[in-house]
Amino acid sequence: MLTTMAWRNLWRNTRRTLITASSIAFGLMMAILFTALSDGQWGRAIDDAARVGPGHITIQHHEFQETPSLQRTVDASEALLAKVRAKPGVLAVEPRIAGQAMLATAHDSFSAAFVALDPARETKDTFTPLSQLVAGALFEADDDQGVVLGEKLAENLNVKLGQKVVFTLTDSKGEIVSGLARVRGLVRTGAPSADASLCLLPLAAVRKLIGYTPTQTTQVAILVEDQRRSQAMADTLSAGLPEGTVALNWTEVNPDLSSMVNIKVIGGQVLEAFVIMLIAAGIFNTIFMSVMERMREFGILMAIGFSPGRLFRLVVLESFWLAVVGLVVGAAITAPLHAYLHAHGIDVSAQMGSAGGMELGGVAFNPIIPVGIYPDHAVVIVLLIAGVTLLAGLFPAWRASRVQPVEAIKLT
Amino acid sequence: MSDSAQPIVSLRDVTRTYAQGKTEVLALRGVSLEIFPGELTVLSGPSGSGKTTALNLIGALDRPTSGSVRVDGHELATLSRGELSELRRDRIGFVFQAYNLVPILTAYENAEVVMALQGIDAKARRARVMGLLAQVGLEGLEDRRPDEMSGGQQQRVAIARALAAKPAIVLADEPTANVDSETAEALLNLMEQLNRELKVTFLFSTHDPRVMARARRLIRMVDGRIVEDKVQG
Repeated sequence: MLTTMAWRNLWRNTRRTLITASSIAFGLMMAILFTALSDGQWGRAIDDAARVGPGHITIQHHEFQETPSLQRTVDASEALLAKVRAKPGVLAVEPRIAGQAMLATAHDSFSAAFVALDPARETKDTFTPLSQLVAGALFEADDDQGVVLGEKLAENLNVKLGQKVVFTLTDSKGEIVSGLARVRGLVRTGAPSADASLCLLPLAAVRKLIGYTPTQTTQVAILVEDQRRSQAMADTLSAGLPEGTVALNWTEVNPDLSSMVNIKVIGGQVLEAFVIMLIAAGIFNTIFMSVMERMREFGILMAIGFSPGRLFRLVVLESFWLAVVGLVVGAAITAPLHAYLHAHGIDVSAQMGSAGGMELGGVAFNPIIPVGIYPDHAVVIVLLIAGVTLLAGLFPAWRASRVQPVEAIKLT
Repeated sequence: MSDSAQPIVSLRDVTRTYAQGKTEVLALRGVSLEIFPGELTVLSGPSGSGKTTALNLIGALDRPTSGSVRVDGHELATLSRGELSELRRDRIGFVFQAYNLVPILTAYENAEVVMALQGIDAKARRARVMGLLAQVGLEGLEDRRPDEMSGGQQQRVAIARALAAKPAIVLADEPTANVDSETAEALLNLMEQLNRELKVTFLFSTHDPRVMARARRLIRMVDGRIVEDKVQG
């Protein structure tokens, strides 16, 4: 009976109810789309950075992060790789050697950030630059002398496909060693810093050159399905690693990106909080006006036997129905809009104009901003708006429950 | 009036004062009265005589400034707000001058609402409410909302609502004030019949001579005091 009464009361002033429900629906749409934009944009930025850098989680020497050196290594044994790969949610586990090298040709010399990887294991899904080759190809597994360079780096070195490059680095004992390589491919990532410094080398050849064992590396890059769970996974992994070896989350390996994501996400949440507060004020106004207009009726209901608690529940139920209507309308509007934006993204290339080559977290900025909300975020938003609507109804409900029947019945 | 029966309502030296700005208005001045089961009593008197105030106190809608009000054995001053609600729900029926039906409920639902509050199952509610609506002459109008009914029909629904929970007493404040004389006659006939056949105890407040003429017991009030209390033939 109470539920039916609350539902019907909602439609006594249809226009007012529709306006308030619309504001709830609009609030839901704004909150979902803001969050979807943030989730999509920053989720992709994190994933991209992980696929260009050392993964979502990086297993490395415990001092490597502070003082990177080819002397700070980990033993990437098959047993370790298999153990990590078996963890639920792990997509890939890739042993790599990363460090600084000096590249020289007959024309010039430049410093480079080299990544030595196993071409038999790695794909464009584990290391994005492999999908960004603009000339040549990645060296084969049995190619000891292959090198792939950033397009700008090759240009600076004045070296072309098939030509020789000498790379110099420090070995496991701190001695300077050099190797000769031929350019097999050129990469254009779109990130100016990467294109001017990236150098890919064969893992086995580099191991041999710098005196590593067949399983020694500077890092094991781990890619996971959901980057939001990487911290927990990193903590779990760390606990099972040998002494002196740690598993770091991307937030520790890439603190700049982590800070930027945090600032943007918090900014978005503050904006959403304002939107929700505005909606709450509107809902409160509607319910409070509706209650004040019906004080006489509440007096009558009290006279015929409604308890204060029942009147309170009646008004709270009206808030509940208002939330349901607003959220259903909101979902009906938001779902197709979200689906469209999720499929197409938001193209900001026109707004970027000639500002090509932008970087985000060391990765080329993609002008198609992805939109896609994490389901648990959508649930939180729906619950938050429902909660705010119910909260906004609490004071009016309390006022209704405090009605004095004698005074109220006198009201006309 | 019966000497052996316990009174349903008992007022002992009841006063009620209201603050009206800086002035204190004495609405009831030491009123004492008893209402017994099966009575059809009318509180009459001019405006401001205190009859509505007395009805409000008996209906547990208000509390006295001093004195004692007992309804169905309960001393109202000792009851909490929740207990007063339960007493009104279970033991007191109200018929208001302006009908005061719940506009969003149908005639059936208005009559049913108090029984629903009592937790009576739907089947039992239906049987009683349909019987009552037939008794008050509203058969076939169960699904109409108040704005689809005449004043007289609405007042009949109000009477059915008041009777649905089988109260100890029905309080009716100027029940004929808002209807035409023909409808008023019909309503009075109905209430008289319910009193006679179902032994429903009625207490009216009115200054309508037609209602006073129907009373078995007539209590006249002037300036917050009972000046006459007589049994009529």
